[in-house]
Amino acid sequence: MPRIILRLIGQGILGLSINPWAQILTLTAVILVSFLVGLFLMAVTTLDHQLSMASGETSFQVYWRPGPDQAQSDEISRQWQEIQDIPGFLHGRTFTPEQALKEMESRLGRNSTVKDLTFIAENNPLPPTGLFAFSPPQDVQNLDYGIWIKDTSQKLWDLPGVEQVSVTPLRDELGQAWRKVNTYIMRPVIVFLTLLLGLIIGNTVRLALLSKSHEVEILQLVGAFNWYIRLPLLVCGAVQALAGSAIALVLLRFIHMQIRDVLMFPPLMLEIRFLTPEMILLMLAVPALMGLLGGWVGLKR
Amino acid sequence: MIEINHLSHNFGQHWALKDISFRLKKGEFLFLSGPSGAGKTTLLNLLFAALPVQRGEARVAEFALNSIKPAQIPLLRRQVSVVFQDFRILPERSVYDNVLLPLQVRGLSRVHSDRRVRAVVRALGLEKRSSLLCGELSGGEQQRVAVARAFVVNPQVLLADEPTGNLDAELSFRLMDLFKQFQAYGTTMIVATHSQELMRRHPEAKVIRLEDGMITGANWPGATLYPGLEQMMEQRRRTAPPQPKSTKQPEGAGS
Repeated sequence: MPRIILRLIGQGILGLSINPWAQILTLTAVILVSFLVGLFLMAVTTLDHQLSMASGETSFQVYWRPGPDQAQSDEISRQWQEIQDIPGFLHGRTFTPEQALKEMESRLGRNSTVKDLTFIAENNPLPPTGLFAFSPPQDVQNLDYGIWIKDTSQKLWDLPGVEQVSVTPLRDELGQAWRKVNTYIMRPVIVFLTLLLGLIIGNTVRLALLSKSHEVEILQLVGAFNWYIRLPLLVCGAVQALAGSAIALVLLRFIHMQIRDVLMFPPLMLEIRFLTPEMILLMLAVPALMGLLGGWVGLKR
Repeated sequence: MIEINHLSHNFGQHWALKDISFRLKKGEFLFLSGPSGAGKTTLLNLLFAALPVQRGEARVAEFALNSIKPAQIPLLRRQVSVVFQDFRILPERSVYDNVLLPLQVRGLSRVHSDRRVRAVVRALGLEKRSSLLCGELSGGEQQRVAVARAFVVNPQVLLADEPTGNLDAELSFRLMDLFKQFQAYGTTMIVATHSQELMRRHPEAKVIRLEDGMITGANWPGATLYPGLEQMMEQRRRTAPPQPKSTKQPEGAGS
């Protein structure tokens, strides 16, 4: 029996050469759907990671007046040290105008026509900035949270030379909003795309069955059981799904390497994260299962 | 081996088989004769469960076809081989692979399968052709491949639907000789044919004549003529216009 099953699996893999155009189209569709699922999962992973990292944080983006002289710059550097002493301070990231200009230059990237910004270095228009994360004290209740933001914000406003302070809401609230989006939009979309994957593969398997109808008839005539006839077709569907999702993962990895840092600027400071190992396994296993399931349903119809 | 009792089958309003009853023992040989549309193919299709039994009873190789479950049909077909007029072989595969197919399906070992395939291919004079694709063979050779595939599993029953329909007379006689050879191993055979000549050359074979789905003639008592046959024939005689000559009785048909 294992020998028969191995032979049938081999037949299923060789069966990919039957109707090559249909197989290529299906593979393309599988890659596309898997790629979309992967993108959604990457978004989920990135935001989940960001929220878990910043859970309970409130971020204050502070802008000082541009064009400080040396004395003002020293003063601002001193203020950055002072800010760390404000109660609830967690972490911060600061940019001097020169650092901001360098960051901007690197952001403009290789594709930009303007590769060198040294010509504006002397009259640098960028302000000194800082992104500071604070955590509200444990005793602050929901009602007092607004007051705490106002107080902290005011402390920052009161620093000499500060021109603007903007506040992002508490990340827990963002987290709740994200969880709702995840539950009501992202997950249904992923489930829908997974079902679509099964449907696409099911139809291809059915097409393969129809194109092999003469062989199937002869196999039935000589006493083949249904599983014997169907197994190669199901293997064919599963292999397609597996290959499609593997190619999609490679594409996603390549794209991730290109865009990993594109959101790494204030106030977002988001590093786009690749799928977790569990998600990669799911991305391979679920399409293969859907390929089997879709193929099975396709053969049942 | 084969037991049919009051078997009837209809396709919508049309009755393809009416009250068919006969019995065959192990190793017996039966010709099913009759004009086109007489019900020969329908009867054969019922005997290997390509059609479900609607009325009556049918038992083939210990399988009660009235109550056979879909999962049992492959098991029945491992006991009952079928040969068709249009061969039903895989033209893109070699002679060897076509004959090997039923053994692969049964999961027999490669060594054992190889021995059996080579023996049957040799018996049918195809050993020099065994590596050729079936699509490259002549009609007679393709029919021999179909016969080899049927016999390679030593079936208890062989059903052949117009197996000589695409062959010339010489090849037809050779094919029937092959059938008779394999019958010697105890295979029960039913061969549907139009050919009077074939039946004449095998006078020892049992014959059933079918017309309009009814048994209208048989040469042994194991088959039952259609119960209303006499009245029906009498009615036909009364209503038919006068014929210039009397019609000839079918060969071998009688009781």
